[in-house]
Parts: sequence; structure tokens; C-alpha cells
Amino acid sequence: MIRHYDVIVIGAGPAGMACSASLGEMGLDVLVLDEQEVPGGQIYRNIESCPVQRMEVLGEDYARGQPLAARFRARDLTREQGASVWQVEPEGRVYYSRDGISQMVTGNYIVAATGAMERPVPIPGWTLPGVMGAGGANNLYKEAGLTPTGRVVLAGSGPLLLLEACQLIEKGVDIAAILETTPKIPSPKVVPPAFPAALRPDFLYKGVKMLKVIRNSGVPHYKGITNLEALGTDELESVRCVAGEEQLEFDADLLLLHFGVIPGTHIFRQMGCRHEWNSVQRYWHPACDEWGRTNFEKVFAAGDGAYVHGAVAAGLKGELTALEIGTCLGAIQADERDQRAAEVRRHLRSDLFPRPFVDAMYAPRPEMFSFHDDTILCRCENVTVKQVLDVIADGCLDPNEIKIVTRCGMGPCQGRMCGPALAELVALTTSEKVENVGVFSIRPPLKGIPLKELAAMDLEIATSGPAKLFKDAK
Amino acid sequence: MFKHDTSIPKETVTVTFDGSPVNVPAGVSVAAALLGKGEKHFRKSPSGPRTTSPHCLMGVCYECLMEIDGVKRQSCLVQVREGMVINRHLHNEGGEE
Repeated sequence: MIRHYDVIVIGAGPAGMACSASLGEMGLDVLVLDEQEVPGGQIYRNIESCPVQRMEVLGEDYARGQPLAARFRARDLTREQGASVWQVEPEGRVYYSRDGISQMVTGNYIVAATGAMERPVPIPGWTLPGVMGAGGANNLYKEAGLTPTGRVVLAGSGPLLLLEACQLIEKGVDIAAILETTPKIPSPKVVPPAFPAALRPDFLYKGVKMLKVIRNSGVPHYKGITNLEALGTDELESVRCVAGEEQLEFDADLLLLHFGVIPGTHIFRQMGCRHEWNSVQRYWHPACDEWGRTNFEKVFAAGDGAYVHGAVAAGLKGELTALEIGTCLGAIQADERDQRAAEVRRHLRSDLFPRPFVDAMYAPRPEMFSFHDDTILCRCENVTVKQVLDVIADGCLDPNEIKIVTRCGMGPCQGRMCGPALAELVALTTSEKVENVGVFSIRPPLKGIPLKELAAMDLEIATSGPAKLFKDAK
Repeated sequence: MFKHDTSIPKETVTVTFDGSPVNVPAGVSVAAALLGKGEKHFRKSPSGPRTTSPHCLMGVCYECLMEIDGVKRQSCLVQVREGMVINRHLHNEGGEE
């Protein structure tokens, strides 16, 4: 028997939790599929069992996840954790693997709230053990209370890099340096969005406070660095970069990289959703209407997977999606939807006042991709920048062609880690705009699954099986 | 590279890691448990001469892939359980993938 639901929500981060809780409150039959073993997503990871001491370090932005998780728990939803979705058909079929069993479920509507990831920026040595995402290290603390030991270098760009730095300073971690690729003098492009940002003094105060913590700590803090490199033989030993005229090198046991956040779009690409290009933050995102509806009527994108706006906005966007789906399914009336949506949008607007300013301030610049010949671009298949440049010189300009020839993007991560950088590399080499370079074609399964799991699937494909066919032939 | 927060007493579970029993905190991912034990090398890269280490810790990069109870899984997405069998196959010659 194939199970059917009113709505299938994929992901239990801020957007997924808010959306499914709201749908549940309308009395709808909701299935939530989440890849992790506990709800919370990345930003609210382990929110339900995080000890008080850790909550204090993680602060109020993290604590906001608690009431949301409680609301998510309060409703009678079908929640399946540890469920990896590996195929979605926009007509309403979702295939997923859980506890070694793959199955297909159907829904009238599908909400993909699969969130964002840290932008992968290949630098020399980034595959060395000891080089990790700053958000990843933060996850280890939320989830397991892990704190870095030895000397730590933080490098990259963006508010989350500074936030991680502040939390490490507070925990007394030995930080050798903070190396920002963000220029010393901000671009004039930050001026116009600075005005709406000024409407949220609380937000600006948070930023100023972070910079003050860093300054008071005495940790060396460089801006506008270039030529970032991780050095070591079997594991990280030091970090090198250029700051102004000066070459700097720091001994380090751990290098935490962060270059902003981009939507994880594989699920939308696999379905064939139309995408749009964000030219400030240089990423693709599914094209959606004001409710998060994609070009497929039954498929919605909610949260940072639809557009990176941060955790609070993600929850609000999940709410808006729920209101629209609830109306389409007849659970609420259109006037109730509009009334409630107006309130949600008011919050959303206020939350997003500073966002264009932050996006412009920490806009990724092509220079931050320091493509050295020997740098591994594709971690899964160990394809170097040089190997890709060689096939570009031979006339392979489409990412899918490059993939076939070099295997770049053909490993288990399916190009999640190399795709964005590959596009930048092609653009840089051919003086083409990155949005015109193209993207990898994404095919199922979105996550690797054993073949025997596929073979064991209970699929009701046709009413008459092959046995009947042979009987008739006789 | 990392240390576990020991100020809060935590239940532990015993897993078999590369053939030896290891005590790790309960309720954490396999990746977090092993990083907290000082393990940095998680598997041999199937396509090149290097060992890999968890990089993204949010289920994206596959660098933390390990054989967990007989199936290759992303160790950052799976929680440790009593009796779990975890293998890295660090010394197998090209036999991992």
C-alpha cells in the first residue's frame, strides 16, 4: 500500500518545522521527512536537548528555535527522522530511504525546505584533515559539545565567520588569526542598502558587539586577505595568506573556512524547477511566487533553500507556504489566509531590512577564488584545477561536458562541493558571465543508496504483473 | 583537534571501531563521536592518494563516509548506538568504493 498525505514536507529546520506545524494546526495530514536524526536543521541543530551551558554560549538567536520545536512537536504530524529523500517527482511522488528501506509516498503538495549550505570555495590544501567549515564546527558544538583544541585559524567572509569567532573567543579557544577576504574598505554598493538596515538598530548593535568582542580579545584580525592556503603533508600544519604587501603564515591545528551560505538546490534541479540567479550573492535559487510556489503547481520551496534570508525569515516563509497550501486544500478560507499572511509579511519585512546591506557587505568577489593549478576542485574524484583548465582549453565549456571528460562532479556528493566553483572557474577562464556558464544536470538518486534497497522496493506500478501476461499467451 | 565537553556527565555507548571497542558519548553523530576521540582520518579517498576527514558536517560533502553496520553512510548524519560496528578500511588497498 502506498501511503498518501495532504502535504509532504522535506526538512525539519526552521522553515520545515514552521510550515508543518502550521499545516498540522489546520488539521491537515502531514508527513515530515528529515535527514537528521533529530529536528532543528543546521541552525537549530539539537535544539531539543542542548544543555543549558551550551545554550548560553549559543545565545538568543539559537534559543529562538526552542518554541518553534515545541510547536512542531505539539501537533499530530507523521515525523520521520533519518529519512534521506533521493527522488522527487513534481506530480507528488517522493522516494526516500530510511533504516535501510526505500519507499515511495505520495502527497497532494510537496514542500522542499531543504535549507542552505556553506559556499564551498576551493583553496590549496582544503582537503587536508584539519580544514573544516566554520558552520560545521559550530554544528559539532551544538550537537556534541565539541570545542576545538590547539591553534585555530578562521578564514573567509561573512557574519557567520565573525559569530563563530566570537563564540570561540568566549570559550577560551586559542585563535591564531581571523583572516577575512572581505575588503578593508567596503564597496560603494553597500551605501544604498545601509538605509533600510538602519531601521533595525538592534541588528546593527549585534554586529558592532561582535566586532568589539574580537577587538578586545586581541586576536590578530586581517581584512582583504588574498592567496589563502592550507599547508601540511598528512594533515593541516599551517595557514598562509597575503595581507597587503605582507605574506603571513600561522601554525594551526584547525582551519575553519566560511564564505557565506548558498541554497542547496539539488532537489529542485532534479525536479526540473526553474531557477534564478542572485547576482549579488552569486548563487542559483528556485524561482518562486510570494508563497514559495515553484513553476510546478504542487511543489513549494520554503526557507533558505529558496533564497538565503536567515533562520527567522525561513520560519516565516514556511508559514506563508503553509497558509497557501491550507487554502488550496480547503482547510482555511482565502480571506483568513490573506489576513494571517499580512501579519507574517510585516514581520518578514522588518526581519529583512538589514539583509541587502549584509549581502552587499559580504558579497562574494571572484578574487576570493584563488584557483591554483594543483588545488583539488572536486574532492570526491580528486580532480584538480589544472585538469579542468586543460579540457576548457580543448573547448569543453559546459559543466556537464567537463564532468564527463574529467569526472569533476561525478562522485558521491554529486557536484554539491565543486559545482559552484567550477562555474566560476569556467567564467573566469572564458570571460563569460558565470550565470551563462550552465550547471550540472542533477539526476536521481539525490543521495547514494544500495542497489539492493532499490530492488526491494514495493512499487505498485501496474495492476497486471508479468505472470498474467504469460498466462494469456498460453 | 576537538575535545568533548566533560563538564556535563553524559551517558555513553560502546561501539566497535575498526575492530576495537570504544566508549563514546550517547546521542551524538558518529563523526562527532570520533572527532572527539581525536580521530581525523575517516577513510581513504577512493580516487586519490589521500585520507579524507569530515569537512562540512551537514550531510553535503561525503568526506565522512564510513561503513556503519555494513552500509556506507555519512557519519555526520548517523547517531552512535550501542553495539554499532564502524569500519574505516584505511588499510585496504583500493577496496573501499
